[in-house]
Amino acid sequence: MTVRLARRYEFSASHRLHSPALTDDENRALYGKCNNPHGHGHNYEVELMVRGSVDAVTGRAIDLAALDRLAEEQILAPFRWRNLNEEVPAFRSEVPTTENLAAEVDRRLRAIWNDRLGPLGPRLERVSIQETERNICQLSDYA
Amino acid sequence: MIISKKVEFSASHVCRSTELSEEENIRTYGAAANPLGHGHNYVVEVAVTGEPDPVTGMILDLKRLKEILEEKVLSVYDHRLLNLEVEPFDRIVPTVENIAIDIWNRLERQIDPTGRTRLYSVRVHETNELYVEYRGEE
Repeated sequence: MTVRLARRYEFSASHRLHSPALTDDENRALYGKCNNPHGHGHNYEVELMVRGSVDAVTGRAIDLAALDRLAEEQILAPFRWRNLNEEVPAFRSEVPTTENLAAEVDRRLRAIWNDRLGPLGPRLERVSIQETERNICQLSDYA
Repeated sequence: MIISKKVEFSASHVCRSTELSEEENIRTYGAAANPLGHGHNYVVEVAVTGEPDPVTGMILDLKRLKEILEEKVLSVYDHRLLNLEVEPFDRIVPTVENIAIDIWNRLERQIDPTGRTRLYSVRVHETNELYVEYRGEE
């Protein structure tokens, strides 16, 4: 039987939304307070939704410990208490918006997903990043 | 259209399989393998799909849904040790995956005998960090 399982993690980090392709005025108009040159931070919540079949013996759809290790290694350790613009290589060239953050989390997980969870194992179906309670970005593999 | 209702129950369980060795149980379930059990405040979100009735404007009478949830789920699960007191957990491990599937099985045929609306999903939150959703056979 196939189920969807969602696991949530948290990390706190700082960022600044500023695009070098725009003028200072355009950046201020587009990103508002998020363009503050000194940066600011959020308590981010990451939700990983996985689709898998439930093992008849264990009753589990995924090796949760393996998923937790993957998340810790690929997302939480590199992002937690960091300045995303300065300390995460992808955001030296991309603006660390919630959208780009979701895409980066998705890339990092998919790059080694099959090695850790098996090519025939559970699939990563959706990555959601909550920046604040009013700002959530979802990236799914089906839409 | 999809409409959902949320209810809660509290229960204890032991996540441990007699088919696995002690080491495999610890590796699979972690602290949840404690043989003396532990508990959660489970939150169950039940989603129903259909079109609103032209007269009542409702997909399903939510009072009726609440009664079904009370009778078929809460009265069975609330304040129980799932492994000993709730079938089928005398035979299968009461993981949150299996709980979501079991609640689906208890509800599927109860929602609307006329077939105008049907159960869409059962989502069970075990903690703030973990939930499982079952949408029936896919």
